[in-house]
Amino acid sequence: MSASAVFILDVKGKPLISRNYKGDVAMSEIEYFMPLLMQREEEGALAPLLSHGRVHFLWIKHSNLYLVATTLKNSNASLVYSFLYKTVEVFSEYFKELEEESIRDNFVIVYELLDELMDFGFPQTTDSKILQEYITQQGNKLDTGKSRVPPTVTNAVSWRSEGLKYKKNEVFIDVIESVNLLVNANGSVLLSEIVGTIKLKVFLSGMPELRLGLNDRVLFELTGRRPALSLPQAKGQFKKQSVANSVEISVPVPSDADSPRFKTSVGSAKYMPEKNVVIWSIKSFPGGKEYLMRAHFGLPSVEKEEVEGRPPIGVKFEIPYFTVSGIQPVLYAPGRQRALVDAQIRSLPAQRES
Amino acid sequence: MPYLGSEDVVKELKKAMCNPHIQADRLRYRNVIQRVIRHMTQGLDMSGVFMEMVKASATIDIVQKKLVYLYMCTYAPLKPDLALLAINTLCKDCSDPNPMVRGLALRSMCSLRMPGVQEYIQQPILNGLRDKASYVRRVAVLGCAKMHNLHEDSEVDGTLVNELYSLLRDQDPIVVVNCLRSLEEILKHEGGVVINKPIAHHLLNRMSKLDQWGQGEVLNFLLRYQPRSEEELFDILNLLDGFLKSSSAGVVMGATKLFLALAKNFPHVQKDVLVRVKGPLLAACSSESRELCFAALCHVRQILHSLPGHFSRHYRKFFCCYSEPHYIKLQKVEVLCELVNDENVQQVLEELRGYCTDVSADFAQAAIFAIGGIARTYTEQCVQILTELLGLRQEHVTTAVVQTFRDLVWLCPQCAEAVCQALPGCAENIQDSEGKQALIWLLGVHGERIPNAPYVLEDFVENVKSETFPAVKMELLTALLRLFLSRPAECQDVLGRLVYYCIEEEKDMAVRDRGLFYYRLLLTGIDEVKQILCSPKSDPSLGLLEDQAEKPVNSWASDFNTLVPVYGKVRWATISNLQRAERRGPELPAPASFATSEPLIPEENKEQIQELSDAGALTLVPNHQITAEYFEKTWLRLKVAHQQVLPWQGAVHPDTLQVALQVVNIQTIAMSRAGARPWKAYLSAQDDSDCLFLAELLLGPDPSEMQVSVKQQEARTEALSSFISVLETVLGTIGDITS
Repeated sequence: MSASAVFILDVKGKPLISRNYKGDVAMSEIEYFMPLLMQREEEGALAPLLSHGRVHFLWIKHSNLYLVATTLKNSNASLVYSFLYKTVEVFSEYFKELEEESIRDNFVIVYELLDELMDFGFPQTTDSKILQEYITQQGNKLDTGKSRVPPTVTNAVSWRSEGLKYKKNEVFIDVIESVNLLVNANGSVLLSEIVGTIKLKVFLSGMPELRLGLNDRVLFELTGRRPALSLPQAKGQFKKQSVANSVEISVPVPSDADSPRFKTSVGSAKYMPEKNVVIWSIKSFPGGKEYLMRAHFGLPSVEKEEVEGRPPIGVKFEIPYFTVSGIQPVLYAPGRQRALVDAQIRSLPAQRES
Repeated sequence: MPYLGSEDVVKELKKAMCNPHIQADRLRYRNVIQRVIRHMTQGLDMSGVFMEMVKASATIDIVQKKLVYLYMCTYAPLKPDLALLAINTLCKDCSDPNPMVRGLALRSMCSLRMPGVQEYIQQPILNGLRDKASYVRRVAVLGCAKMHNLHEDSEVDGTLVNELYSLLRDQDPIVVVNCLRSLEEILKHEGGVVINKPIAHHLLNRMSKLDQWGQGEVLNFLLRYQPRSEEELFDILNLLDGFLKSSSAGVVMGATKLFLALAKNFPHVQKDVLVRVKGPLLAACSSESRELCFAALCHVRQILHSLPGHFSRHYRKFFCCYSEPHYIKLQKVEVLCELVNDENVQQVLEELRGYCTDVSADFAQAAIFAIGGIARTYTEQCVQILTELLGLRQEHVTTAVVQTFRDLVWLCPQCAEAVCQALPGCAENIQDSEGKQALIWLLGVHGERIPNAPYVLEDFVENVKSETFPAVKMELLTALLRLFLSRPAECQDVLGRLVYYCIEEEKDMAVRDRGLFYYRLLLTGIDEVKQILCSPKSDPSLGLLEDQAEKPVNSWASDFNTLVPVYGKVRWATISNLQRAERRGPELPAPASFATSEPLIPEENKEQIQELSDAGALTLVPNHQITAEYFEKTWLRLKVAHQQVLPWQGAVHPDTLQVALQVVNIQTIAMSRAGARPWKAYLSAQDDSDCLFLAELLLGPDPSEMQVSVKQQEARTEALSSFISVLETVLGTIGDITS
C-alpha cells in the first residue's frame, strides 16, 4: 500500500490538517472529495472508495471527521483502511476524543505524529506505546534536545523498550466479549455471535517469553506476538445464577414524542430526547427474573410526513467473571518467573435487535 | 487572526520573529512559530516569512525544529533559492549526536521537492544508510527513493541500488521493508525490485518479525517470485499458512492473493485456500470498521463467482443490521442473492422480505430486485412474496415488483400465470417511468390473460396528454397494438384514439414517428401486423446462462486484494477508461516530449505512448497548425529527407490514427478515407526550434507495408531520427490495435 497524502477534513469537507507524503498528487485534489461524496450519496451509490481522474480517495468517518487517503496506485484497500483506523487509534490515545476541536488544539502533535506514522506514503511506526516514548504532549515544556533518546529508536525490537524493570511482576488479563444478537419480530434468533478480545496488561521485567493457553471449549487461533486479538465464535448460554450489572436498555421512540411518564418495577427510566430513546437502567439484574417498565408518551395529533425507521432495542450489560464463550485464558511463564494471574473477566455490550 | 488578510498577518508575524526580545524568550519564540504553522494549516499563504523561519531552524528545541522543517517542506517549491539557505542547518543536523534529530533532518531534507537539492542530499543519505540507529536508516532508505523521484530521468545509481539490496539483511524489520519499497520506486522502469531465491527465502524467514504493514507489503512483493520446484512451492505455502489467519484483514487478503497466485496450477489447492480463509474473511465481514467490512464483502462476492456455494452455510452472517451504512447493506443483499441454496432459501427470502419494507426506498428496491434474482431458481416462493408486497400499495415497492415481474416472465415463462393474476390494481401505485413501462409491457404481451388489461391501458391513453415520459408513450403504442391483436373488440377504439393523438398532437418526434409507423403497418393488413408484432413471449436462454457460469479462480486472482473488486469490475473499467482518456485528452500538460529508442510493448497500446520516458532530444510544439496550402507549397519545395517502409496489418482507422498523432503533437493535414486504395495521409509537426517536419504515409497495393516519407525544413539528422521514431512508435501501436 502507499498513500500519496493523508487529510483530516471537518464535516463540511474543509481540510483541518493534511500531510503530503509523496508529492505525486496535487493537494488541491481534495476539493473534489466532498462534492463527489455528496453526489454519490444522492445517487445512493456511496462507498468508502471514490475516484476523481487518476486519484482514488479512500476514506473513513470518525465522529465528525473524515480521514482521507489519496493514492494513484491500485493498492490494497484493506491495509489503507486499517492504517486510517490505526491513525484514529493513535490520535485517540493522545487526545482521548478525536474531534475537530482536539485537532485544532493539538495541531503540533498531530503534525509530529503524522510525520512518524508514515513516510513517503508508507506506514512506519504505528504503535502508540512506542510513539508515546518520544512524542509527548507536554507541549509547552521546552525540550532542550539533551533529552533521553528513546531506546526504541535504535532498538532491534521496535515494539518493546529495552531494560524494563518492575518490582512486582504482574500480568492482568481482561476478556472482553460483546454479544451481537439479532432477533426478528417473532422472537426467533437470527444471528448470535460473540466478538471478543483478550487484553493483557503486562508488568514484566526484561523480555520474558509468555504463553497464553486457552481452554479447549473454544476453538480459534491466536495471532500476533503482542497482546493477542482473536475472534472466538461460540454459542452462549446464560446460567440462572449469573447476575448482570449496570444493565441499560434503550428503547427507541418516535422523534416527536413528548410528556413522558414512566413506571418501573426496578431501576430507573430516563427519556433522552436528543437521541430519541428511553433508557432504562438497572443496577443489578439476577438471572431468571423478569422486570417490567411502563412508559407513556404523548404524540402530536399532526402526523409527520416522512417515515421513520424503527431502530432496534439495545441492551448493554456487564457480567463480571463470566464469559459467554466460555473462554478461560491461562498464562504460562516459563522459567523461574511464575506470573501472577489475575483474571478479570467481564462481558460487555450486548445488542438486541427486533 | 483569520479576519485579517494574509498579508497583514505575515507582516505582523515577521515583525514578531525579528524582535530580539521574542527571540531571546524561547517559549514566546516558539509560540510565534506555532502561529505561523497554524495559519499555514488554515490555508493562508505564509511563504512571506521564509527567511525568518530559516533563521529559526537553528535551535536546540526539537519541536521547534520539527515545525520549521515542516514549514520548509511545504514552501520550498515556492522559494527554492531561500530554501537553499536552510540546507546548511539541515546538513549540520544530519550529524547531530541525537538520532532523532539526525532522522528528522534527513527526512525533511529529502522531502524538500525542489530542483538542485539532489547534490546536497546525496552524502547525508549515504551516511544515513550506515547510521547505527535504525531510525535514521529507515529514513535514509526511503530518502533514496525520494531523491530518485526528484530526478526521475536521471540514471539509476548502481552502487546505491546495491547498497539497498544489501540492507535487505538489516536487523531492523522496518528498514528491510523500506528497502523493498525504495527499490521498487527506483527501479520502476526496469520492472521493480528483483525477488530472487535468496531474497525470497530471506523475506519468508523474516515475515513473523514484521508488523502488519510490512507483512502486507512483503506478501505483495513475493507475488513476483516463482518457486523453482513443486516442493519449494509447498514449503512456502506451509511457511505462510499462519498468515491466512492473521488478525489483520489486510494481511489475510495479501496472503490469500499470494496463495492463489502460487497455486495457480493446482485448482484443488486454491479451493483449499479459500476454505481456510473463510473464517478470517467472515470475521472481517463483521468487523467493527465499516470500511474493512465493505472491502471484505466485495472480496466475498468475488469468491462467490467461482464457488457459489462457498459461504452458503454462513448465510446468517450476511444479514443486515439496522445501523449499518447503505453500502454495506447493498453488498450483503448481493451476497445473499448469490449464496442461496435449497437449504437456506426459506430463511434468506424471509430476511429479504423484511428489507423490502425498509425506510430507505433504495434499499427496499434493492431487496426486491434481489428476490427477483433468486426467483430465477426458486420461482414459486419468490413470486408469492412479491405478490404479497404489492398489497402494501407503496409506490416504490410496486414499481420495483412490476419491473421484477417483467424480467421474470421473460426468463421463466412458467410464472406468467401467477404474475398475471397479481397485476390488476397495480396501475394506481405506479408513477415513475420505469415502472409504467414495465406494467404496460406486461399488459401488452400477456394481456389476453388479464381480464381488465384493455381498461388499464385505456386509462393510460386517457391521460396520455399529461404523460411526461416519451418512453412510456412508445411502450403504450406497442402494447396496445399487441393487445389489439388478441382482443380486437375491446381495443380498437382506444387504439384509434391513441394513434390519432400520436400523429396529430404529439410533439415528440420519436413517438410521432412510431405512431405513423404503426399506422402504416396497420394499413398493410392484420396478418402482416401479426407476423411482425407477435414475437416469442419469453426466452429463457437470454441472461440465465451468462449469469450462472462459474468463473475459474485464476480469472480474478490477479485482481484480488486490489481496488478492482472494491470498485466492482464494471465501475473499475469505466474509471480506468476515463483515466486513459484523460491522459490522452487535449488539455494535456504541454509540451510532450519523447525518448527515441524504446520500442513499445504491444499489449499496452496507446496509453503507452504517453508513458515513454521524457528524456528525449525532440520536443514537438503542441497546437501547431499550418494550412493545407502552406503544406502543399512546402512539401513541393523540399526534398525527401528520409524514406522508410514499416510493416502494417489490417485496415487503417483514420480517426484512431488521428487521435494518436494528436497526442504526440503531430497534425494531420489530410487523410484518405478508410479502406481506400491506395491510402494516403499527410502529416506535419514543428519542434521547439521551429523546424518543420512534413510526412507522407502511403499504403500501396501491398497492405502489409506502410511507406513513410519525411521532409524536413532544416537538415538536422538528430531531430529527424527522433521524429521518425516517434512516428514509428505511433504507427506501431496503432497497427497493433487495429490488427
